Amino acid sequence: MSGKQASKGGAANKSKKPAKGGAEEKREDALQAVILADSFQDRFQPFALEKPRCLLPLVNVPVIEYTLEYLASNGVQEVFIYCGAHSEDVETYINDSDRWSPESNLCPFSSVDFIRVSDASSIGDFLRDLDKRSLISGDFILVHGDVVANIPLDGILARHRARREANRDACMTIVLRSSGNSPHRAAKARGITPVFVVDPTNGRCLQYEEMHPLQKDKYVKLDDSVFEHGEFEMRTDLIDCGIDICTPDVLALWSESFDYELPRKNFLHGVLKDWELNGKIISAEILEEGYGARASNLQMYDCISKDMLHRWTLPYVPDSNLLHGQTYKYKRGLWLEDGAHIAKTSTVTESVLGKTAYVDTGSKISNSVIGRRCQIGKNVRIENSYIWDDAVIEDGATVLHSIIANDAVIGKHSYIPEGSLISYGVRISAGTELPSKPVPRISLLTSEGEPAKTDCRLVGNDGKGALYEEPEDDEDSDSEDEGDADPAVLQSSLIYSLAGLNISRESISTLATHDSDEELSDDEYEQFQVKANRERLSSFASDDSAAAARALDQFHGDAVHGLVDALRADDNDDFDSAKLEFMGLRLANNASDSMMRKAVSVAFATRAAELMNPENGGLEPTKAAGRALTSKKGAVKFITEVGVGGNKVDLHAEFALALQKALAAIKGLDSVRAGTLLAALLQQLYNLDVLEEEGILAWWMDARAAENDTLSKIKERSRVLVEWLENADEEDSDEDSDEDEDSD
Amino acid sequence: MAPSQTSYAPTLGKLLKSLNSQPLEASIESLVYLLKRRQVKGDDIANAIAHMLLQVVAKSKWQSVDQLLAKVSNTGLRLAQSAPSEQVIGNVVRRVMGLIRDEASEDRNADDMADSVSDLSQLPTTPTMPSRPGPTPLRAATLPMSRSMFNLLCVSETVSSPGTGASTPMSQGASANMHALRSEVIDGIEEIMDEISQADDQIAGFADIQIHPGDYVLAYLPSPTVERFLVKAAAKRRFTVFLASGDRQEPGEVPHAALCKKLNGLGVNTISLASNGLMAYMPRVNKVVIGAKAVYANGGVSTESGCSIAARAAREYSKPVIVLSGVYKFCPADPSDDVTEFERGDSSAFVDYADGEAVDALEVENIVAEYLPPQYVDVYVTNL
Repeated sequence: MSGKQASKGGAANKSKKPAKGGAEEKREDALQAVILADSFQDRFQPFALEKPRCLLPLVNVPVIEYTLEYLASNGVQEVFIYCGAHSEDVETYINDSDRWSPESNLCPFSSVDFIRVSDASSIGDFLRDLDKRSLISGDFILVHGDVVANIPLDGILARHRARREANRDACMTIVLRSSGNSPHRAAKARGITPVFVVDPTNGRCLQYEEMHPLQKDKYVKLDDSVFEHGEFEMRTDLIDCGIDICTPDVLALWSESFDYELPRKNFLHGVLKDWELNGKIISAEILEEGYGARASNLQMYDCISKDMLHRWTLPYVPDSNLLHGQTYKYKRGLWLEDGAHIAKTSTVTESVLGKTAYVDTGSKISNSVIGRRCQIGKNVRIENSYIWDDAVIEDGATVLHSIIANDAVIGKHSYIPEGSLISYGVRISAGTELPSKPVPRISLLTSEGEPAKTDCRLVGNDGKGALYEEPEDDEDSDSEDEGDADPAVLQSSLIYSLAGLNISRESISTLATHDSDEELSDDEYEQFQVKANRERLSSFASDDSAAAARALDQFHGDAVHGLVDALRADDNDDFDSAKLEFMGLRLANNASDSMMRKAVSVAFATRAAELMNPENGGLEPTKAAGRALTSKKGAVKFITEVGVGGNKVDLHAEFALALQKALAAIKGLDSVRAGTLLAALLQQLYNLDVLEEEGILAWWMDARAAENDTLSKIKERSRVLVEWLENADEEDSDEDSDEDEDSD
Repeated sequence: MAPSQTSYAPTLGKLLKSLNSQPLEASIESLVYLLKRRQVKGDDIANAIAHMLLQVVAKSKWQSVDQLLAKVSNTGLRLAQSAPSEQVIGNVVRRVMGLIRDEASEDRNADDMADSVSDLSQLPTTPTMPSRPGPTPLRAATLPMSRSMFNLLCVSETVSSPGTGASTPMSQGASANMHALRSEVIDGIEEIMDEISQADDQIAGFADIQIHPGDYVLAYLPSPTVERFLVKAAAKRRFTVFLASGDRQEPGEVPHAALCKKLNGLGVNTISLASNGLMAYMPRVNKVVIGAKAVYANGGVSTESGCSIAARAAREYSKPVIVLSGVYKFCPADPSDDVTEFERGDSSAFVDYADGEAVDALEVENIVAEYLPPQYVDVYVTNL
């Protein structure tokens, strides 16, 4: 910091001498910035129903002011603003502002342009639109409209440029602020924990994942490619400042991926994952000083407000008066704007009072932000709350850790519990005590924007407003992974709380236990152990192997299910689609050959055993085996190619072993019948040229085939087959030798 | 930052370069926001204000002295409000307004001084003529004591201007006079700018009078003025400097490394101290040198926070405290109302924002300036 100041001083000193003819400065391309003023989320409901979220007041200043000011302080020249909902309001606000209006000659930007995208439903649509417009000429700064930051960008831009010159594929730099190991309120406030995998030697971002407390499994699966880097760090402590330095290539990447919606969860994750396809390098600037955060949800709103009052965000503090017409002065823990009045017997501490706000006698206010023209009555208690402009709190009311929006009226002696969100114009009548559960979110509008019917039981007889209910989201309900609740629920309230949410208490450090009978085969397990060890070597604590095992488990279940269904299907004789599905599953889960072998054998064994049941006709084992294997066209080929997977003796033996184990695991099938069925299946497979006799004989000799009683009993039933095979073999070899003799 | 890099962030240097190409209002706005965002700091501020007022005089349209005064006063008020803790802004504005009045009223009665007070009353601090600062102000023996600051600036020949004010109709001759007045005032402001830029050098000129061979000099958080003072002294004298710094430091980092190197190069020893060890070293110290941010009417000084600890320690051991301050930092305000309003800096100077527990539990007050009462100051060194 001091170095920077010194250099600034130096610049100033130089410019004292210089001459008037100062056009020698080489004209660089103007710095461009794109502001994403809407994020298409409903984290700020019910407030964002009526007002765009970038105009919601943060310490009595609309949030977008901080972003614009930040861009101005970094010398941005051209600004493009993408607005979603309520775009007219944002445009009116900017055009009416004498500081930012493009017509005003006071505007520090050379141009401010609004871009409307009529059918945009995500940030991805904005950026794909931006790509089409070709407005961007070089590196640009992509910020969200809710960024509060004081991080100087000059150095970051210079380093970005250096990286880009060194490697044309370095297309993006993400600005992150480390928040240390100790529990940090900014880190706690976000609900979703971003996990950045970064190469600390060059700042390259290798993988990005998101975690949240509601997800079913608490594991992050690392890509194999991550391990190719000599060193990597997994960081969960980073605060995403919402500031990206991008080259136009980034927009092209967005255009290529038409389904990306969110810049982090979709875009960053996807681009890093497909690194081998696109070859693009994304870097992370992890800062140890400075302030940067996004007021992306109500908890962050709370957190940033507190940070501002504690001056972490300097110069973005109330007494900097960055907004035109603001006149805050700081005195003994209070920021008072002109005309704010506090009666003598009231105690107000660590709070902000806007212009002509009035606090009557005997009130106690602490750690709160009170807007302009607010009227606070006698003996009111307000703690940790945000009261927006023109709200009225009548005598004796209590407001705890809540947000009261513009023009709301809180009646006499009413009680507003922690976490309440009281929207615009709501009226709570005198003596009403709001329930603390469910957390009151009271609005005059419903989630569709229709006027809501006043709920007198809630807001009292003279009240106005009803409980705001989240819209039923049809799109989310079809997400099938049960238990994976939408993390948005964590972010929609002012106070971060997991209470009342269904969270699995599973510890991260234990291996997942499987209640299914099939255990992972040993080699599979070993593989995971190796992986886990490797991770430990690179000082990485979370146990990844269990997550992978779980994924494979799921693969097994899905695959067997799919195959058995295909075998059962009466109307369809074609097995190709099932095969396609199976291969898709295999690719998606990165299943190994042994996993596939296991799945195939279980599927066919299950089907054959089914056919022996009386309700399916009670077929003889031989017929059942034949039916299971041959009723569908392509099934035999499938087993040969996928199940066995090669023409080697040990592979054949493995498949036979897998069949044996699969039959042993089928419930309701005694070992005698299972053994008979196995013999039948093996014979069929032999006849169909799927298994060679060497394979079956190798299986016969394999110690694993007689590990326990069940297995050896099953195996015993195949003795006849094996003996017959052995004889056949001898005959074969006899024939061979005959032939040999003949040829001699 | 390497100079080769392109820097986008606005700086005072860029603003001053663009003054001619930008409309006046935009320039003022830029400076206001540079001040609000703390992108101009310290001794640059006075220079920046003088430049801006020069632009106001040169570019804005005015037909009478009163109009000009009103314009300068309005601009000055805006600038002063954008950095309320910087007393220097008010000082420079008052200097310029005084200059305009002086130029305009060479022929007029002396009582228009009284008017100026009322005009200036909008400024945040009640302006009165600067009183003699300090108990024992040191001035260069070569300069006559009787010369006031304003007279210093009136070296050019006097302009005869007719009576001013809205009631006086403007004649051709008057407008010619206004034209002459404009150039006179611009010359005057340029002289103020010269004075501001030369103040440090002039103060440093007294260094060898104050610092004697073999002295042990304590410099607490040396400002650029103090640095220049020490370096100048080092050219002629052999002495030892204790450099005390109160900031949170990275281990292994030498505070004020550049200054150390410069002094060592001239053969002067430097010893770095942590501020909590000050008292222990005080018996060895011969004098304490402190740079002022502003000097109040009663002789009290606004300094870097922590300087008063050094001064108090010096008082305890009866060591002289020398305050270095350019005359433009002398302000007519009384400190009593303003002491509590000293600027508070970024909390991260003391606590890392990454330290979540501390961020939650602590309320960090980083006061960047503090008030040093006059009784702790023994010598003021100015540029007069």
